[in-house]
Amino acid sequence: MSLESHQPVSNASAVQEPQARAALAPVWLIVLMFMLLYCGAVYFDQNGGWFDSRIYAPYQTYTELESFQPKGGGPDLARGKAVFDTICALCHGANGEGKPGQAPPLAGSEWAQGSPDRMIRIPLYGLSGAVSVKGQQFNLAMPAMGAALSPDDLASVLVYIRTSWGNKGSVVTPEQVSAIKAKVGNHPQPFTVDELNAIQ
Amino acid sequence: MIEDPSSSKSPAARPDTAQVDASCRVPLFVLFGSAVSWAVMASALALIASIKFHSPDFLADCAWLTYGRVHAAAVDAQLYGFALQSGFGAALWIIARLGGNRVSQPWLIGVGGKLWNLGVLVGVIGILAGDSTGFENFEMPRYAGWILFLGYLMIGLWTALTLHRRNEGRLSPPQWFFLAALFWFPWIDSTAHLLLLVFRVRGVEQSLIDWWWSDNLLLVWLSLTGLGAVFYLVPKLAGRPLHSDRLALFAFWTLILFGSWAGIPAGAPVPAWIPALSAVATVLTLIPLLAAAVNVRQTLDGHCRALAANPAFLFVGFGVAAWLAAGVMRIASALPGISPITSFTWFGVALSELHSYGFFAMILFGVIYCSVPQVAGLEWPCAGSVRAHFWLGSIGILLSALPLAVGGILQGLKLNDAGTGFVELTKGTLPFLRASTLGDLLMMIGNLLLAVNFVRLSVRFGRARLAPSCASFAADLKPAEVKP
Repeated sequence: MSLESHQPVSNASAVQEPQARAALAPVWLIVLMFMLLYCGAVYFDQNGGWFDSRIYAPYQTYTELESFQPKGGGPDLARGKAVFDTICALCHGANGEGKPGQAPPLAGSEWAQGSPDRMIRIPLYGLSGAVSVKGQQFNLAMPAMGAALSPDDLASVLVYIRTSWGNKGSVVTPEQVSAIKAKVGNHPQPFTVDELNAIQ
Repeated sequence: MIEDPSSSKSPAARPDTAQVDASCRVPLFVLFGSAVSWAVMASALALIASIKFHSPDFLADCAWLTYGRVHAAAVDAQLYGFALQSGFGAALWIIARLGGNRVSQPWLIGVGGKLWNLGVLVGVIGILAGDSTGFENFEMPRYAGWILFLGYLMIGLWTALTLHRRNEGRLSPPQWFFLAALFWFPWIDSTAHLLLLVFRVRGVEQSLIDWWWSDNLLLVWLSLTGLGAVFYLVPKLAGRPLHSDRLALFAFWTLILFGSWAGIPAGAPVPAWIPALSAVATVLTLIPLLAAAVNVRQTLDGHCRALAANPAFLFVGFGVAAWLAAGVMRIASALPGISPITSFTWFGVALSELHSYGFFAMILFGVIYCSVPQVAGLEWPCAGSVRAHFWLGSIGILLSALPLAVGGILQGLKLNDAGTGFVELTKGTLPFLRASTLGDLLMMIGNLLLAVNFVRLSVRFGRARLAPSCASFAADLKPAEVKP
């Protein structure tokens, strides 16, 4: 089991450490390396998304991803329903029927079908005090539930409310929401019915 | 690479090989002795973890021995206790031998080795106690990481100084590999430690750092150290010069260049460019694989059969074959057509077992079997057990890795078939898992044989050392020494 016992006898006393010859590297290895590098570059070009941090497998380009995004233009009712179900439906009910002691109905409500400028202010800043909806009196406080939503989301949910359950309101655009945000600015207190009635 | 005859000292100033070996004695006894004990420990823990896959009730009532802890402890005992530690020893011995100079500060390297072992012990107990960091291959708790790094600084510093003070001016291929490994480990270890445990990165970046660490430790560091040992031992045992230092240099650079950014799996939930680039790098590791294989083959040039009589050569030969097989498996599992089948299966486990045990551990066993008798000046007490260790180890690895690889492919094919139920699929892997437990058992017995042989050699060495002083104690007093 000795290491040096396998050395040729002439070396046994000197215990020569192994040397290295300087043979050239075979050319096929270099050629193979460049072929693999080429294939690797082609593969990366097709699958790597060119270092774009928004692209995940199996997608390859950002244009491809964009084709899956909802198209701009008309209001997005599916998105509006998703926002309504997560935020509004807790108090106003899944079908906008309202809940006694919590929130007035939205289905058939004159507020939900009337002036968009009034309606946009309610979720953005809240509404407190006495209000009459469908001939019933309510005296509740609605917090500014929509203040944190993006203009797109708020417009979508308002359109959903204004066109569902038999409602026949006009369409609200994100631009209208942004315009009212800019116009009202800082409004720490919720609106009252009197304030809203002053707006057309 | 540059030959400078003036830097080689005159033959008179150079210590002979026996003196070089004697200077390695303390560090190698510490590093190799502890590495062998950790190998036994790791294989015992791996056996427990392996049994749990088909007998989940086995030792299930003790929190310290649940699968998540035992498996992590087994992996880390193997990596830090055996692989890294024995690699440090091999680097030191071969660097000193090729440099033709004595080791710098052997006692301080020995102290560094003891510190390293304290770190591994604290870490493994920490993992078993439930303190694992949760990062694969980096489970050692933060407090153990500091001890390990400090221990490594002592080992690494004086190994680098040993290389610096060499008498042989020209660096030979094994020395490049060990020099790179010497600096590679503290770089990746400190980066992973700082980014994962101290200044924690967030979210999926943690997984990226962990994959990067695992790849650089397992693929780059283990391959650098293992190949360094191969390029020293193969020419040494064959008594022939290495075929080509240029080819070795080519393997060296391509391994470092391509190997260091492989390892991010194809299905990773990260931006597409990271796994895509990683797959390209993994496929390109074919180049260092082929370069090293050609170099070893040309060096031996058909002299294999005569060398098979030497058990140390058997270990090295098996290790090279396992390295090539594991490399081909790694490349195959990175190919776009195959990775959906092999990912999330036992195939990956088979690959890492073949690489860590079949390649690295077997090569390092070869180094231990070669170097310890030289360093101690004693033969192994039981030559038969060396050969037995080889057969137990190699059959054990094949029994462990082959069924897992085959089982992994079958499992992957079923996973991609929506008609196969998950329970049925999992039950289908049981025969393969049972076979791999048997393999783990054989490997553990093999490691035990090495440990027993090592202990017996140490005892003999101690007796031989103590014999003169014992004799002087026991000798009759001369009349002149007895004072009235």
